Amino acid sequence: MKIDRRLFVNFDWILLVLVLVISCIGLLNLYSISCTLTHISGKPLYIKQFYWMLIGLAMMLAAASIDYHFIVRYGYVIYCISLLLLVSVFIQGTATHGSQRWLFFWGLSFQPSELMKLTAIIALTKYITENKINEGYHIKSLAIPLAIAGVPCLIIAIQPDLGTALFLAILFFSVILFVGVNRKTLVMFATSGIVLAPLCWFFLKDYQRERILTFLNPERDPLGSGYHIIQSIIAVGSGGIFGKGFLKGTQSQLKFLPEQQTDFVFSVFAEEWGFLGAIILMFMFLALILWGLKIARNSKDLAGTLIAFGITVFIFWGVFINVGMILGTLPVVGIPLPFLSYGGSSMVVLMTGVGLLMNVSMRRFMLQP
Amino acid sequence: MTNQARKWLRFRIVTVLIFFSILFVALVSRAFQLQILSRDALKAKAEKQHTRILKIQTERGHIFDRNGKVLAASFVVDSVYADPSQIKDHKGVSVKLASALGLKKRNVMEKLSKDKKFCWIARKISPKQSQAIKKLNVDGIYLIKEPKRYYTNKGLAGHLLGFVGMDSEGLAGLELKYNEYLKGASKRVSWGKDARGHRFYLEDGDGSKEVGGSCNLILTIDSRIQHIVEVQLQKAVEETGSKGGITVVMDPRTGEILAMACEPGFNPTVFSDYSSDIRRNKAIADCFDPGSVFKPFVVAAALEEGVVEYDELFDCENGAFVVGRKVIHEAEGEKYGLLTLREILKHSSNIGSAKVAQKLGKERLYQYVRKFGFGTRTAIDLPGEAAGIIRNPQHWTDVDFATIAFGQGVSVTAIQTITAMSAIANQGVMIKPYVVRGLVDKNGKVIKEFTPTVVGRTVSPLTAHRITSFLTGVVSDDDGTGQNARIENVAVAGKTGTSQKFDFDAGFYSSDKVKASFLGFFPAEDPQITILVILDEPQTKKWGGQAAAPVFKTISEQILRRFHRNVGEQELIADEENRELKKISSSEAPNGQKDMDESVMPDFRGMSMREIVTIARERDLNLEIIGSGWAVNQKPIPGSPIMNQLYCKILMSPGY
Repeated sequence: MKIDRRLFVNFDWILLVLVLVISCIGLLNLYSISCTLTHISGKPLYIKQFYWMLIGLAMMLAAASIDYHFIVRYGYVIYCISLLLLVSVFIQGTATHGSQRWLFFWGLSFQPSELMKLTAIIALTKYITENKINEGYHIKSLAIPLAIAGVPCLIIAIQPDLGTALFLAILFFSVILFVGVNRKTLVMFATSGIVLAPLCWFFLKDYQRERILTFLNPERDPLGSGYHIIQSIIAVGSGGIFGKGFLKGTQSQLKFLPEQQTDFVFSVFAEEWGFLGAIILMFMFLALILWGLKIARNSKDLAGTLIAFGITVFIFWGVFINVGMILGTLPVVGIPLPFLSYGGSSMVVLMTGVGLLMNVSMRRFMLQP
Repeated sequence: MTNQARKWLRFRIVTVLIFFSILFVALVSRAFQLQILSRDALKAKAEKQHTRILKIQTERGHIFDRNGKVLAASFVVDSVYADPSQIKDHKGVSVKLASALGLKKRNVMEKLSKDKKFCWIARKISPKQSQAIKKLNVDGIYLIKEPKRYYTNKGLAGHLLGFVGMDSEGLAGLELKYNEYLKGASKRVSWGKDARGHRFYLEDGDGSKEVGGSCNLILTIDSRIQHIVEVQLQKAVEETGSKGGITVVMDPRTGEILAMACEPGFNPTVFSDYSSDIRRNKAIADCFDPGSVFKPFVVAAALEEGVVEYDELFDCENGAFVVGRKVIHEAEGEKYGLLTLREILKHSSNIGSAKVAQKLGKERLYQYVRKFGFGTRTAIDLPGEAAGIIRNPQHWTDVDFATIAFGQGVSVTAIQTITAMSAIANQGVMIKPYVVRGLVDKNGKVIKEFTPTVVGRTVSPLTAHRITSFLTGVVSDDDGTGQNARIENVAVAGKTGTSQKFDFDAGFYSSDKVKASFLGFFPAEDPQITILVILDEPQTKKWGGQAAAPVFKTISEQILRRFHRNVGEQELIADEENRELKKISSSEAPNGQKDMDESVMPDFRGMSMREIVTIARERDLNLEIIGSGWAVNQKPIPGSPIMNQLYCKILMSPGY
């Protein structure tokens, strides 16, 4: 493959720096958390996360260097592979917290559902670019995209990991709405959503219902299902303007905060660095997302726009849902905070995603093949 | 892509951009709400979570007698508590605990099954038991150090000292009165927890301490005298078959209480074993009709007012004196003719006393009774003092007036009575009684020092002197009522008393139920000790002269013997500082050569720093003072001749 000199000239340094800074903040935050999480055996979390970050960076460079048109062309293949992985969780996987989400390769645990988010975006991109419809999608033309998102969504829901399934659905609708849906279909989606929502209630597991009830009123069960959210709010709020200082967050260091290395990392961060730290981090995320949207806008073709848009939306919803949950404005769903939550799969997938963003960004001046 | 399609796409991206930005702003404003608007409330919540607080008293201050002997002390012992939420096998654990601590299994089980994070299992256990608990090593069962209060000598001066509750709060007596000084800094033991409730702190580490007292208390009580008093009082109560008794020993010149005892006694270490009736310090809390011990005050008032002559004769009506519709008799059916004031007191004549009072008049008698402190609290530094009842003279009938003259129909406390008599012993000057000499903090610094407080003059020195001489006759004369209180070589002034108790069931004064008392002081020429002995309902000997006077005598003799001093010549009790001061200040050289001539080293022992410095300055002595508090030792020893080197080394101790 011929390597174009322009690729280096147009390399997106800003994107790289933004992602690296956010990831390093994440490492620092994990260091603070690791100080107290003595019960986890093996290497400290921040070391493990650092290794994951290195793997992620390698993946990022790989994803950036292969032309995204080439990747989109094999979109369905990639999609099918990750679908297979997802199914194999039921065969080989191990259960944690009562659900099967993990695969193990050479001693490393891996969560195919994370990968699925990325490959679904690529598969959708492939479908949309190959089936352009100017006046918006209607119900028939949506059948295949719906299947692309719906199948993994169902499998993940069975694991059960409703949070990720929901996330995938949101991702799908974001992309589809962005591309355009005709009015009749939109109305139909909306009405069926309203009708189906109460029906869903009966399919939810008890703990999931609890979470929703608790979200509506956290004080309902302060030591049970409301515990997470109450503790999170206390931790964040007690941080005040300037925070309690690095390694000095009482709520996290004294382990009041649950799941602080994964879903609730932001509580720890906000407690120790205060409103000021939280705002700075939030603006960095916003900058990253705006940059991603700019890449989408500047892309020369629809495939690039869609991939960039999909990945940006992926990051956006991750940040919004996670932070919203931590601040008590959204119900508790297990969505990790991009680049900050501990988790190899999430880290590597996100880094790969950023690599695709770079890919699109670098090739914005190139002609379509 | 067509240009139009591109524009359309760009428009969408901008729309999404705005939408995302709005959502971000929403998140940031929520963070603002939490971290800035409600940060204080949430900080307080956080605080509350990770500092679970248990207030533990640290060691309570000790109580010493005037000579540095410990009367009450605190030691640290273990207590057991549980965090039931951490215990899974409630049954197994409670069986183990019950057998280790000797508790009932069911009670322990009940405590453990409560939905709490903290509950006491057993407080203040023995070292053996705490060993057993340590050996059990069960999660959720913890030991914590708590101070336990011990009282020496099975609770010597228990009524005075009072007692402390489980949480080291003074509940009675001096423990209550001086609780804020005695109580240890209350230590706030706090711990954090994760969801599993693991403590990150428990031992003495970083529990924040409140600034608190933990001062030692130094009493005026002399435990040697207290011991004598308690033994003798108990013996007397047993011998006479009394229900109980009260004895108070006081230094009339300073108001210092040297001993105060109630029978039946009580041991504050195990205070819950006694009824509240027994625990009450009856010497200050209970009122009674004083009976004949009241007569000297009536006579003193009359003399002071000049309504009677020193040698005036009173017609005692041959034993039957009609007042109003009643006839007043003498005790034991005695009949007297003409009696002097001295004889009225000596024979304890009711009729004579009534006649003296009549000369004085109701109003003036009332004034003097109040002047002697009856009907008012003495303000002794003990809680729960009663004021007694002296009715307004307008409400006295003639019969009341007559009976009040011999101590029936007024209600007084023991401490009031002895304080009043001490005023007579102290040339008419009344001194406030007190039991705490000073407070010393843990570093030995004297925080507070209590000195004698003059309440006021009751009668002139002349009147006091006359009454003293009358009262000497009560004891020394062969026909005196108080001859059982006589002590060889010592002039004792005293008065017997036998008061009828008011029978609340029958509604009149009972002739069977009496309080036998003796109130006196010695040596009469320079009184140093006042003693009041009261026996409640003695069965075998019913008269003050028979029942109480011998107790007074034995106590006095033992005090004198104990201190190896001939009272006639020398000071008696550990009141050195006063003596020294007196001797220093009196410039006229006393006859005895061992007395304070300038060439002899003074006795500093027992003095406070200020007193020592005053004396040393007068004598041009150079001092080397070690420690703080009161002097316990000195070199050269007292009485050794001062050579050219005017130098004295003094060792001070807070525990004197």
